[in-house]
Amino acid sequence: MKKGSGIKWNKYLVAGLCMTGLVVLLAVLGIFWTPYSTTTMSAGERFAAPSLQHIFGTDNFGRDIFSRVMKGIGTTILISTLVVAISGAAGILIGALTGYFGGIVDEIVMRIIDALNGFPSILLALVVISVMGTGQRNLVISLGIVFMPSFIRIVRSEFIRLRDADYISRARLMGVGRARILFVHILPNIFSTFWVSVMIGFNNAILAESGMSYLGIGVQPPQASLGKMLSDAQGYLTTAPWYALAPGLTIVWIVLGFSLLSEGIQRLSR
Amino acid sequence: MITIEDLSVNFGRTEAVRHVSLEIPDGEILGVVGESGSGKSVTALTLMGLVSAEATVTSGRILYDDVVLQEAGKPRDKALYRRYQGAQMSMVFQEPMTSLNPTQRVGRQVEEMLRLHSLPAAGAAHGTAQGRVDFQAPIEGRLRLYYSQQERQAMKQLVLETFAAVGLRDPERVYGCYPHQLSGGMRQRVMIAMAIILHPRLIVADEPTTALDVTVQNQIMDLLREINEKQRSAMLFITHDLNLARRICHRIAVMKDGRVVEIGTPEEIIEHPREDYTRNLIEAVPGRMKRQRRSAGISREPVVTVRDLQVYYQDGSNSLFSRGKKNHVVRDAGFEIRKGEILGLVGESGCGKTSLSKAILGMNKEITGEIEHFSSRPQMIFQDPYSSLNPSKTVGWLLEEPLRARGKLDPGQAMTAADMRSAAMEMLETVGLTEGYYDRRPSQLSGGQRQRISIGQALITRPGLVIADEPVSALDVTIQAQIMELMRRLQEEMGLSYLFISHDINVIYQMSDRIMVMKEGKIVEIGETEEVFAHPREEYTRQLLRES
Amino acid sequence: MKYLGKKIATLIMTLFVVSAAAFIAFQIIPGDVVTSILGTEATPEREAQLREELGLNDPPVVRYFRWAGGVLRGDLGVSYRYAKNMNEMMPVAELIGDKLPITLSLAAISLVLIVVVSIPLGVVWARSKSKVLDAALGVITQASMAIPSFFLGIIVTYLFGMVLKCFVPGGYVSYEKDMGGFLFYLLFPAMAIALPKAAMTARFLRNSMLTEMKSDYVRTARSKGCSERRVMYGHVLRNAMMPVITFWGMILAEIVAGSIVVEQVFSLPGIGRLLISSISTRDLPVVEILILYITFVVIFVYFLVDILYRVVDPRISSR
Repeated sequence: MKKGSGIKWNKYLVAGLCMTGLVVLLAVLGIFWTPYSTTTMSAGERFAAPSLQHIFGTDNFGRDIFSRVMKGIGTTILISTLVVAISGAAGILIGALTGYFGGIVDEIVMRIIDALNGFPSILLALVVISVMGTGQRNLVISLGIVFMPSFIRIVRSEFIRLRDADYISRARLMGVGRARILFVHILPNIFSTFWVSVMIGFNNAILAESGMSYLGIGVQPPQASLGKMLSDAQGYLTTAPWYALAPGLTIVWIVLGFSLLSEGIQRLSR
Repeated sequence: MITIEDLSVNFGRTEAVRHVSLEIPDGEILGVVGESGSGKSVTALTLMGLVSAEATVTSGRILYDDVVLQEAGKPRDKALYRRYQGAQMSMVFQEPMTSLNPTQRVGRQVEEMLRLHSLPAAGAAHGTAQGRVDFQAPIEGRLRLYYSQQERQAMKQLVLETFAAVGLRDPERVYGCYPHQLSGGMRQRVMIAMAIILHPRLIVADEPTTALDVTVQNQIMDLLREINEKQRSAMLFITHDLNLARRICHRIAVMKDGRVVEIGTPEEIIEHPREDYTRNLIEAVPGRMKRQRRSAGISREPVVTVRDLQVYYQDGSNSLFSRGKKNHVVRDAGFEIRKGEILGLVGESGCGKTSLSKAILGMNKEITGEIEHFSSRPQMIFQDPYSSLNPSKTVGWLLEEPLRARGKLDPGQAMTAADMRSAAMEMLETVGLTEGYYDRRPSQLSGGQRQRISIGQALITRPGLVIADEPVSALDVTIQAQIMELMRRLQEEMGLSYLFISHDINVIYQMSDRIMVMKEGKIVEIGETEEVFAHPREEYTRQLLRES
Repeated sequence: MKYLGKKIATLIMTLFVVSAAAFIAFQIIPGDVVTSILGTEATPEREAQLREELGLNDPPVVRYFRWAGGVLRGDLGVSYRYAKNMNEMMPVAELIGDKLPITLSLAAISLVLIVVVSIPLGVVWARSKSKVLDAALGVITQASMAIPSFFLGIIVTYLFGMVLKCFVPGGYVSYEKDMGGFLFYLLFPAMAIALPKAAMTARFLRNSMLTEMKSDYVRTARSKGCSERRVMYGHVLRNAMMPVITFWGMILAEIVAGSIVVEQVFSLPGIGRLLISSISTRDLPVVEILILYITFVVIFVYFLVDILYRVVDPRISSR
């Protein structure tokens, strides 16, 4: 530990924070203000190449791509955050209980998770969506369900590892209550592992959301979405390659930022 | 043959080895004794050319006869070293399990020695193999991929002969085994076979018996001595255990903080130590001489009685389809622990000591029989000081938690935060630490300090009975002596009862009022310590006493 | 043998759970199948007749077991959406039949690409002493891992299809007509699937090797006089591959998912496109069979990975 802040900065952490910071900043800014309206179409400005006026250029309706990307980031981050919050909270609760107590319930939960695990996540989300119908709320719920198993699995295995640790045995001997053992004695020790899986889950949620929007079964127009923009842009690859590049590279930027951040956090705890 | 001149090795800023000079003539066993961090292993690894890349030799040099193997300020010549490693000097490591490649058959691993080095040398070493086949020396620095049927047969024969020589029964079977299929002792024999197959002039043995049970330990020691006598190989024997070094070495060097503080014959070192540190080290070794007799304070009243206890252990593979196999790990245990006594429990690893103690504390559900407690909330102290304290809490929190838990169970005994804090501070003093440790985390403490906190945590609620499972086995000898002293003192002050578990019969002798000997799940002998030591009734007890 | 029995039992159980779950899920979907097939203007008689034909009047449990029994006998049911001709319904088996090889080939080519690229890359990376190479590979793989496969597909289309003109985007050749052309066309979508996974594997292998390099048996090997090369290939690689194989098992499902999305980018008539169109048109018999089928493939491949793992690691099989 270095003196002062107590945090050992590493280059992953710095790069990750800068990249994700910029993304979050744009998303928040996008709620209140965008350089241009995201809905106004102007036939005269169709397919304008990136320039000082339109730094990412314009699309087939003459809308400013940068403004739409800003809105799209907001949608993506909002959805992914909700998804991770739902699945992470469920993961902690179910994983802690099944991991610590084991028994028949654990057995059943694990069988279900094993079955779901063999299943491509995007496919599972497709099924849930096809049952519940499209729309942003259903998207969040379906992805939340889809990502639950991985969180349950991670939390569960950590609880199994720690439930027989000597210091937990001793807590039991002291007569510490079960709830307190679970959430005061064990839980703080799994946070470093848990945060990393939250970051990974967040990235997977971004990829899944944009993938589903790309397939046309995620976020529905008129709401802006990076995935939807990509599928629109695909038809104009020859005339306006920047149209596809802007949302695509934005997704790459976000995902890269968060994976650097998680790498940085991992190195921090070493 | 080997000359280490004024060797210093640094890891970054830390000096691991400081100006060490040692000479090993042909045929001699030189012991290097020291506690962890004394630089003994780094010295050995540097000699073998195996020390990691972060280490730099800052002064001195290492000579093999007249050849300079390593010199300060020059990078290690790996190609030069490779000619000596294995063929002229070989090494036996502490952990035979991890030191063997887990995915290669052990026969292949030993045979690799032959493939790596010129085979005529091997043939010459073993008169038997010589002349049967003309081995072709591998081209310098390159390996042959193809060996004729005859050559392969001869190599295998050589490996089998060596396996037989190190006392492995059924060499043919062992040859085809993977490391995990062998016992610890067998694995170490394989390691030794690997080390001696080319009849090197020097064998470096780094704590070769530390990971093994006493009985096996003795066999390995005998084997090493026999090899030294038969093959005339010199040996560098590294250990933390002065007694072990005394039994096998011609000369002993004592190391501390990277320096050799004293060197001489075993008699000189042990009978007439010149340095204070050596004297400390000798005195810290638990021994038969150091027992103080006590009689006061022990009543006939039991704190716990155990009758007809059976403990089972279920195999891990527990699923919907199959129940794991039930193993009977403790059989027909019946005894009592009396108020104010220390009952010592001794036995080799796997004999059921830990299962028995966990059963007494109700931590094992698969039991039958009767356990009756006459004290409330017995506590346990574990072997590994690193896993027995919650790493995410502070020392103060850890010491207060038992009080908080007690307060919740029994509101009559609830304490205010300030009271708990002062109780924790007091306990820090009691276990020999200062109040400054209150805000530290376990990761900032040494092994000995952690064990002190563990003891404090177990004792803060003043339980009648404390079960201590190998509480000093993971510690250095000098620390070990301090912790034993502390536990002894607290026991007397607080009138506690201990069930004190150890594999080391000397530790048990020094601590216990009565002792209990366990073998393969059964209590074979129980009685007053002096009585058992003077007149052991069971053959197994006699064996344990002989071998320690 | 006991192991095999247990594995097969798990397989059957998983298939049962998945199929039942899918079946139940589709029962609660709002909207009537009959209306969606016939449209709103059909006569009540025609509707009742179709209902009878499709067996929709029985309770769900009976329908599930009838359907499951049919699947076991090889009768996969009929599509609600596609028809062979005016009078005959389209059997799902026929619908899926010619699309399967496309998706499976795509997944297989991707897998081969991943293995072929990642192992040498990981080994070279682990052995590299150059700081520049190390950092460069670090940045490249990290960035590749962040690219979603559909965006990568678009980039590949643009780069290889429009700029370099290696292939004609959308110019898919059927494997029945031209096997070589078919495989060549699949190479590009496979690239889009494989690159991020290969980067991940390379990183993983490299880290695994560096961890193994620190283990005791490596020190033993060195003490025998092994060269660094021999230590690496003779001892470390096999042990380092173990977590990588587990990792491949984990990403298999993602490869299948990747091919579903990427089929869309490259207009490949595989089961991915069929699945998506069936979902949006609520052609439930088709969706159900596809889900079951994909589950089966994934579990079966897991099983193969497990066997591979046992071959590589002697510690497991003897336990």
